[in-house]
Amino acid sequence: MKIAVCIRHVPTREWQPRVDDSGRALREQDASYEMNEPDAYALEEALRLREKHSGEVVVCTAGPSRAAQVLREALARGADRAIHVEDDRLVSISTDSFVVAGALADALRDERFDLLLTGLQSDDQGAAQTGVILAERLGLPHATIVMDVQVGDGALRVKRELEGGWFQWVALPLPALLTIQSGINQLRYATLKGIMAAKKKEIRKVTPASLAAPRLAIVTLDVPRKTKKTEIISGTPGDAATQLVRKLKEDARVLA
Amino acid sequence: MTGDRETLDVDVLIVGGGPAGLSAALRLAQLRAAGKTALNVAVLEKAREPGAHLLSGAVLDPRALAELIPDFESRGAPITCKVSEDRVLFLTRTGKIRFPFTPPPLNNHGHFIISVQQLGKWMSGLAEAEGIDIFPEFAAVELLMEGARVVGVRTGDRGIGKHGDRKPSFEPGVEIRAKVTILADGVRGNVTKTLMRRTSIAADAQPQVFALGIKELWEVPPGRLAAGAVVHTMGYPLDQRTFGGGFVYALSATQLSVGFVVGLDYEDPGFDPHEAFQKFKMHPAIRALLVGGEMIRYGAKALPEGGWHTLPHCSVDGAMVVGDAAGFLNSLRLKGIHLAMKTGMLAAETAFEALQAGDTSVKQLRTFDERMRGSWVGAEMRPVRNVHQSFRYGLFGGLAFSGLSLLTRGAWVRDPIPSEPGHVRMRRRIEGREPDAGDVEPDRMLTFDKVTNVHVSGTRHREDQPSHLLVHTEVCNTICGDEYGHPCVRFCPADVYEIVPGERGETRLQINASNCVHCKTCDIIDPYQVITWVPPEGGGGPRYEGM
Ligand SMILES: Cc1cc2nc3c(=O)[nH]c(=O)nc-3n(C[C@H](O)[C@H](O)[C@H](O)COP(=O)(O)OP(=O)(O)OC[C@H]3O[C@@H](n4cnc5c(N)ncnc54)[C@H](O)[C@@H]3O)c2cc1C
Ligand code: SF4
Repeated sequence: MKIAVCIRHVPTREWQPRVDDSGRALREQDASYEMNEPDAYALEEALRLREKHSGEVVVCTAGPSRAAQVLREALARGADRAIHVEDDRLVSISTDSFVVAGALADALRDERFDLLLTGLQSDDQGAAQTGVILAERLGLPHATIVMDVQVGDGALRVKRELEGGWFQWVALPLPALLTIQSGINQLRYATLKGIMAAKKKEIRKVTPASLAAPRLAIVTLDVPRKTKKTEIISGTPGDAATQLVRKLKEDARVLA
Repeated sequence: MTGDRETLDVDVLIVGGGPAGLSAALRLAQLRAAGKTALNVAVLEKAREPGAHLLSGAVLDPRALAELIPDFESRGAPITCKVSEDRVLFLTRTGKIRFPFTPPPLNNHGHFIISVQQLGKWMSGLAEAEGIDIFPEFAAVELLMEGARVVGVRTGDRGIGKHGDRKPSFEPGVEIRAKVTILADGVRGNVTKTLMRRTSIAADAQPQVFALGIKELWEVPPGRLAAGAVVHTMGYPLDQRTFGGGFVYALSATQLSVGFVVGLDYEDPGFDPHEAFQKFKMHPAIRALLVGGEMIRYGAKALPEGGWHTLPHCSVDGAMVVGDAAGFLNSLRLKGIHLAMKTGMLAAETAFEALQAGDTSVKQLRTFDERMRGSWVGAEMRPVRNVHQSFRYGLFGGLAFSGLSLLTRGAWVRDPIPSEPGHVRMRRRIEGREPDAGDVEPDRMLTFDKVTNVHVSGTRHREDQPSHLLVHTEVCNTICGDEYGHPCVRFCPADVYEIVPGERGETRLQINASNCVHCKTCDIIDPYQVITWVPPEGGGGPRYEGM
């Protein structure tokens, strides 16, 4: 089975995002980056499927040159080769899923993968759109929020997570695209031998001929501020208690 | 027997990807290319990414870098901000006295203000391009010895649960065997510590004395300090018996590196270095530089301050010790990067010759110590050999002494001034007196509590793993409260240690290991010496972007 895994290089969770002077973008120059978490699970799932059904795992990222880091990491964990759709304009917050998915689709179309995996969503924008749009652009069926993948007879059976603890099993033909939920499997560690072997693996660079125009415009960005407010409620104990309950219900909304 | 452990054989293994280790790696790559020989070199680094655990001031004396990479500027080194001015301030509670001239050791003409994390990241990229294997997220946990010979290290097991259970992702540690091992594991390195315990390399040396540096990166409106300005302070908030001082370095017109260094040989168990740092920032002279700005990163790290007389023999059969791990730091100049780099380079040259000669015993590796003494490292460190020790006579004694030692090139009536390990100087708390509750109320604008600070240090550890702080807690729950008033809750700059009520009304120590920024302070200063820092699972720890 020939499997592609799309991986995004996202700012680390520990990074404190700061809005730049334009008010519409983040100051990405002082961020540190890592592999998007759900994508790591997608990679692991691909490696497990390859172990079971043999084949090839190809990892792909669309991003600036720094994003090659996630490809090297994926190769160290066991992917066979990598494709880097490299363009400095593919930075995390100012390109929407439509642009990224378009760039990926152009780079992956000719490879004719049996299965494409992406993470459910990215830890930075969280739009959960890239996988879905990519499937559409490639004309493939897709399933989202996947918790289990079973392959047999040229078709898939996958378990999808619904709301409220419900799950759904879906059958779909191959080739197809799945967006993988974090926690679907146990991630493996990169080994020393894996890291050394990764150096000999191919990272093919693809320069996109053109990028689609974004479909989303960011109007303004705000970083939530933690605020601490102390208020003293006076009055008789009875009145104060009534007021307190009202405030907890209506202002703080911590009571129903 | 190694069971199903992976093993790896290399010619040279470097433990630690800091300035020392990476300089050793790059020098080996150069020698290998010049000698047209095959030589495989591996670097182990416990951080998620090379550089991520490096924290420094930092004013860089570019001497070693220029020797290692003469064209560093054209090769895109993240070294662009030249020192433009030097100021030394003596702070009183509310005032400041500017030294009319800059004492020569604090003169930074021709130096650069840098981020050592950026430097490390850049150097590791160069090393990798030269075919050096760099393994981030791998911590050396055990030194492998055969008799008196060091043969390599073992890396930590991964995928172990809180209670020592193997998780499905379990991956056993790897035995890496090397003809020569270069220990560059930094200040109070756990592997070097083991080597010092198992051999007599440090037997003739005086005990190392350490300091703790706490630092924040600030973004400030322009106009506070010119890019390249270097400010050092002495005095407030430390008393005369405590060694230390503050610094503010302007990385650019809008970015300041603000830090405070305290000797880890202070006497008062109620002292809190993090709180001293807050007081430093609240001083009018410093507040004026920061107010209205934003604190964007935090971190802490110890540094070896003992100098020349505390250096061990740096070579044994099969291994050498370089950089902060051995104690190569000039405490009078608060500089160690150039010494770390130079000693790394000298160790690389020694290792290369030893491999060529087919003899990696101490007989051959001992030439490292000779080279070091004969190089500018010896020439720089010897004259200031008694400086830190002299500060035990108080700030003014120390200052007077520092001046004198420069005039006399270090000759002094008592040479060496005896030093003792810092933790023995901590005094018992005064009977009946509660330790200071702390008189700084953080405003989260200029001053912060430790938890808020740790939040911006980028620190992360996989939660489900055994604590990497090994503490004999019976002391904590019995005598420590009365004798020292639990100094761990104060000396740890990351709020790892907390005394909490137990189930039966007693108190107990709670260890929030995932907060740990790997500064090594607890391993150093705990008065009972019951705390041992061991590496957590590889990849855990801070992420010091820009520090
Ligand atoms: C607050 C502060 C300010 C300073 N200011 C200056 C300054 O202005 N100028 C200057 O020149 N110097 C300064 N120094 C000193 C300077 O930073 C050090 O001397 C220098 O970083 C030492 O380099 P090193 O490579 O020996 O050790 P380190 O920089 O500590 O590097 C050691 C590396 O080894 C890794 N490591 C440790 N143990 C293991 C293990 N078991 N397995 C794998 N990896 C491991 C660590 O993660 C780290 O990356 C300052 C230090 C501090 C703390
Ligand atoms: S636990 Fe020890 S090493 Fe970790 S941050 Fe606290 S004092 Fe430093």
